[in-house]
Amino acid sequence: MEEKILICEDTLEGVFAAIYEVYAGHYAKESVRIQVREDENYRLFAEYIKVETDCAKAVKVMRTLREKFGEDAYKDLCLALTTEDSEKAQAVYRTVELGLRMSREKRGVRIMDHLAEDHVRKVMELSRAANNELMHLRGFLRFQELSNGILYAKIGPRDNILSLLAPHFADRLSGENFLIYDHKRNQVVVHPAGEDWYMVQGINQSMQDNLERIGADYSYAEKEYQELFQFFCNKISIKERENKDLQRSMLPLRFQKYMTEFMPK
Amino acid sequence: MTDEMTIMEKLGILSDAAKYDVACTSSGVERKGNGKDMGNCKAGGICHSFSADGRCISLLKILFTNECIYDCKYCINRKSNDVPRATFTPEEVCSLTMQFYRRNYIEGLFLSSGIIKSPDFTMELIYTTVFLLRKKYLFNGYIHVKAIPGADARLIQMTGFLADRMSVNLELPTAEGLRSLAPNKHRKNILTPMRQIQNGIAENKNEIALYRNAPRFVEAGQSTQMIIGATPESDYQIMSVAEGLYDKFALKRVFYSAFVNVNEDSTLPALPGGPPLLREHRLYQADWLLRFYGFRAGELLDEKRPFFNVMLDPKADWAVRHLEQFPVEVNRASYEMILRVPGIGVKSAQRIIKARRTANLDFDALRKIGVVLKRALYFITCNGRMMYHTKLQEDYIVRNLTEEKGNLYFARDGVTYRQISLFDDANFDSVPTVIDRQQAVFGQL
Repeated sequence: MEEKILICEDTLEGVFAAIYEVYAGHYAKESVRIQVREDENYRLFAEYIKVETDCAKAVKVMRTLREKFGEDAYKDLCLALTTEDSEKAQAVYRTVELGLRMSREKRGVRIMDHLAEDHVRKVMELSRAANNELMHLRGFLRFQELSNGILYAKIGPRDNILSLLAPHFADRLSGENFLIYDHKRNQVVVHPAGEDWYMVQGINQSMQDNLERIGADYSYAEKEYQELFQFFCNKISIKERENKDLQRSMLPLRFQKYMTEFMPK
Repeated sequence: MTDEMTIMEKLGILSDAAKYDVACTSSGVERKGNGKDMGNCKAGGICHSFSADGRCISLLKILFTNECIYDCKYCINRKSNDVPRATFTPEEVCSLTMQFYRRNYIEGLFLSSGIIKSPDFTMELIYTTVFLLRKKYLFNGYIHVKAIPGADARLIQMTGFLADRMSVNLELPTAEGLRSLAPNKHRKNILTPMRQIQNGIAENKNEIALYRNAPRFVEAGQSTQMIIGATPESDYQIMSVAEGLYDKFALKRVFYSAFVNVNEDSTLPALPGGPPLLREHRLYQADWLLRFYGFRAGELLDEKRPFFNVMLDPKADWAVRHLEQFPVEVNRASYEMILRVPGIGVKSAQRIIKARRTANLDFDALRKIGVVLKRALYFITCNGRMMYHTKLQEDYIVRNLTEEKGNLYFARDGVTYRQISLFDDANFDSVPTVIDRQQAVFGQL
């Protein structure tokens, strides 16, 4: 039998819309696959079908998942989809499929408890990895004060967690104007003081250049505080206990290159 | 005397002087932003950086002053030492905290202090600083301050309503140790504010139960720390003291600080091998067993065996001495017993309990749900079968467990090992936090 492979956009909405298509009865649930990218080597006897992102459909799926599986499991599914794993959409789809099948027999299915199932375990692993990245960035992200008083942070996270990171800083720094720029994915979160934050995706080259440029235009006080913090980090270390390996394993180099205290003086 | 110093110079002296304070956790309070002040708190705490010694930097950890009227033999800031001295003003501390915080360098402030003029005078300065930070600078992030032994109880009380965590340093594990090395300090003076804060927290819980918006008193609980290896106490004595502090003073954490000999005083032990880091590491492992694994100090050590095994972690050491309780059948054993299996941590134990509800577990299934079997395999059965033909014999297991440890770095810092895990623990009163976990051992206990 020919396998059907649905190719969807690499977003939450994209994957959920594809799941909607399956449940709309267009495809056989057992044999269909969902992927966010096409395979590098096309598979023989497989039909690749592009699925358009339809937000209305995605929202319906999201609502169903929250209702059937609860908020925590829903969050695991979403976190798994922020990773770069090529099998993530399939793992999420199969987990959802299993959960919905079980919820037909019994209410209140705790789908993420079924760790003996390969797909559920995969989702759990991906979710944990993405959640770690999120928690790391809550700590490791650094703002610089620009000459106009706006706080600016540049990040390059492994997983696409910017939209999950923004609420944390919006709550914490509600009275500040700030920008968080994910240069790997061309997207930026904007938070005007005292207002709701929003995200701009797919920003163009000139705006990217702009964002890179303003990062160097910081205020006079900024330099002083950067030096104070570098000095502090230096002083707080105990020489007799020095252990750079441990430092690097706690704080991998991929974060360090964005961080004030590791900038060359 | 210190008036002409720049902020940079003061920060240099006063963070250098604060570095021996262990606790740098920002955990224990979940507080949302209120929409006008700056800051919030996450229950798990947040690590913002790691210094070159691999310890987490979470808070702006500074002394208010390193002037001190006391002459404790182990302390770099003792009166008789000729070291550069500096004192912040409350405003300086506030603006440093605010500016560091908005750049996301830190989670908040950890303010300790030498004793300037008198305990009351010092405590009042600390109170003033914290008051300004909360009420004038409108800081809503994390604040940890020291309660100064001997200070007026009212000052400590007032400070407690502004701080998230307070701590009183036990300094040394026993009263004798304190007498010999800290002649100006008395055990009773240290325990009095500790008891006061404990009672304050307990009363406050009742108030909050009645009035939801009652002001919070030391919401993240209190902690303490003691120096290990400056005085001759055994590990058993130290663990008993820690257990007493958890039981009788309801402390959130006890921190252990490997003694660093900074003063070359004749009454202090010489430490040719550097600070006793492995010992400190073993104490943290055992502390973890007390708090999250349901062990008692008396189970781990006793008068006849007062020191931890250098080669084995305390949990494995306990297990090989209690082989009559093993092997444990993972499909039937209680959660408490599974927790006692070497190599199985809180997270793994919880996963086993969850997974076995829906399926019978074999070794392959255990591996799939992320249980590391390397050490556990000597102590468990799945459906009555061991994984390999291993012998349930002390010598045999010890040999195998220690050989595998060729990759262990004994000299490493026990405070900062990361236990990679993501669990919340419903079976014990307190929940391990992000930073706590990083202070546990690498791998699982």
